[in-house]
Amino acid sequence: MGTDRFSIELLVSNHYGVLNRITGLYARRGYNIDSLYVNETENPALSRMLIVSRGDEAIQTQMVRQLSKLYDVQEITLLAKVKR
Amino acid sequence: MELSGAQIVIERLCAHGAATVFGYPGGSVLPIYDALYENARRVRHVITAHEQGAAHAADGYARASGKTGVVIATSGPGATNLVTGIANAYLDSVPLVAITGNVAVPLLGKDSFQEVDIAGITQPVVKHNFVVRGVKELEHTLNEAFRIANSGRRGPVLVDIPRDVQADTCEYRGGEPEKTDGGAAPFDVSRAVKAIKGCERPYIYAGGGILASGAQADLRALSERLSAPVGFSMMGLTALPDDYGLNLGMCGMHGTYAASVAQSECDLMLALGVRFSDRATGNIEAYRQGRVIIHVDIDLAEIGKNVSPGIDICGDVKAVLKELLRVLPPMKNAGWLSRVEELKQADRVPVDGGFTPKNIIETVSGFCDEDTIIATDVGQHQMWTMQYYPFGKPRTLLTSGGLGAMGFGLGAAIGGCMANGNRRTVLFTSDGSFGMNLTELATAVSQRLPITVVILNNGVLGMVRQWQTMFYGKRYSQTTLDRRTDFAALARAFGAEGYRAKSLMRLTGILERLPADGPAVIDCRIDMDEKVLPMIPPGGSVKNIMTRG
Ligand SMILES: Cc1ncc(C[n+]2csc(CCOP(=O)(O)OP(=O)(O)O)c2C)c(N)n1
Ligand SMILES: [Mg+2]
Repeated sequence: MGTDRFSIELLVSNHYGVLNRITGLYARRGYNIDSLYVNETENPALSRMLIVSRGDEAIQTQMVRQLSKLYDVQEITLLAKVKR
Repeated sequence: MELSGAQIVIERLCAHGAATVFGYPGGSVLPIYDALYENARRVRHVITAHEQGAAHAADGYARASGKTGVVIATSGPGATNLVTGIANAYLDSVPLVAITGNVAVPLLGKDSFQEVDIAGITQPVVKHNFVVRGVKELEHTLNEAFRIANSGRRGPVLVDIPRDVQADTCEYRGGEPEKTDGGAAPFDVSRAVKAIKGCERPYIYAGGGILASGAQADLRALSERLSAPVGFSMMGLTALPDDYGLNLGMCGMHGTYAASVAQSECDLMLALGVRFSDRATGNIEAYRQGRVIIHVDIDLAEIGKNVSPGIDICGDVKAVLKELLRVLPPMKNAGWLSRVEELKQADRVPVDGGFTPKNIIETVSGFCDEDTIIATDVGQHQMWTMQYYPFGKPRTLLTSGGLGAMGFGLGAAIGGCMANGNRRTVLFTSDGSFGMNLTELATAVSQRLPITVVILNNGVLGMVRQWQTMFYGKRYSQTTLDRRTDFAALARAFGAEGYRAKSLMRLTGILERLPADGPAVIDCRIDMDEKVLPMIPPGGSVKNIMTRG
């Protein structure tokens, strides 16, 4: 699994059920979420999420690619990979 | 123009070319069914015996036609009955729009009668789903549903429409749906070209992506250009005709000996529109070692998911093949070609005259042409169909690949038959699978569909029994059915024709005089210990292959 911590920042539609779709994807692929922040943005149609999780580079790439496929995900950035 | 939600559904179905839809009515879709009543000439609705059958029929219709399938069901149990069908379409990337009714918006979230959160239930098995909470959103949502289902890597989309939203009215804009798949991302083939030019023993692993992008001709051209043999995942199987010299048939667990060995001996593998399913690869390490892998797929998330390729190209496989064909010179390695030919010979099974799966399938195929659509259920009979039926044209095979859902076949055959102008369609099934959804015989009878159901009846859950024989010391737990079902009589009770065959001669006699406007069931008794071979045990490699005898 690898213990590298990585964060993904997402800009998503601000709509009921969206959080569920995102966390459901982590759950299905078997990755634990260490921490999660969600905020409405200046544009009320969008919210910003920051999800911290663990996994090696292959897992990080895979998560970004899977998340990118979700209809509600508008933007996605893989942030700081911190080796622990 | 002011229209009700239900009328908007009809208008958008027409606009997106959904001339035939499958479904089952109920309280929460009454407005939609009322609108269907007055639009029966524009949208043909086929009522099945069970919503699962409707979902599989819409899926079969989509697989056979290349269009988006549509299924409609009521809330609660109607919606939950769709789930297997939706999951099946998801795993095989079949474009499907499922429309469900739900309780009125004020009743949502109150455990009202026949209320389920079908969007929540289907979330892991759809590309996306929508709950339409106001009629003003409906037109746009339906356009989005068809666009998503049919763009990129295709798949199912569910639209849940509360009953009051179907009845409410609003201004309808209408107009042509926007074209999908326009802005394909650019890709770079230079690394792939360099690797291909330097290789000696190329092998192509081709999957459902070839059919999805309509790249059959390009695949063949590339195979000829590089003198590369082609092994198929089950989803790609019909892309090249059976008699094409470099066609090695199916690869993987029950693939041909030739495909397995050629894969293990190649120095370069071009993986086209595939996802490296465990059933296709077996042991991943052995599969990868000793060769360069070039993976081409439209879905970026597939690249590196199961196998990390040395070289990857994310793009529509047809566009990528066209580019490769533009720049690659002809290549030929006589040694590799003769090795491939030698491997193909090893797959030849000695001929005998028995009433065996192979002989039954070949006898039936003698009454089919290259346009005949073949559906299967799941189990040994499915694998035998892949191995022995000589497919000639793309989109003539309807089979449940990723989900492996027993009970898929009859619904799929109904959809496929209707997509193919009600031409003769064949379903190869067995007693277990057929028992799951045989009520759809009623649908085939009422629609007068010439579907020939061939039951390879071994009296057992043969595929599971085979594993019990090989890996569980012949402890046949719950796989010997010991039923007394008379399938021929049952067929007649449904208003279909029913026969029983115990010899090839009798089977031929039956096939010679099948009805032209209705289904027939032919119950063929076969030995319960027939096996599907070759077989590479799960997690194994070509070293562990078990072949005939
Ligand atoms: C819905 C469903 N339930 C269970 C299975 C597990 N399973 C796979 S093959 C098989 C046996 C199929 O028996 P039958 O349809 O008689 O086909 P045969 O193998 O005898 O040709 C079973 C139970 C499945 N694939 N699908
Ligand atoms: Mg059976």
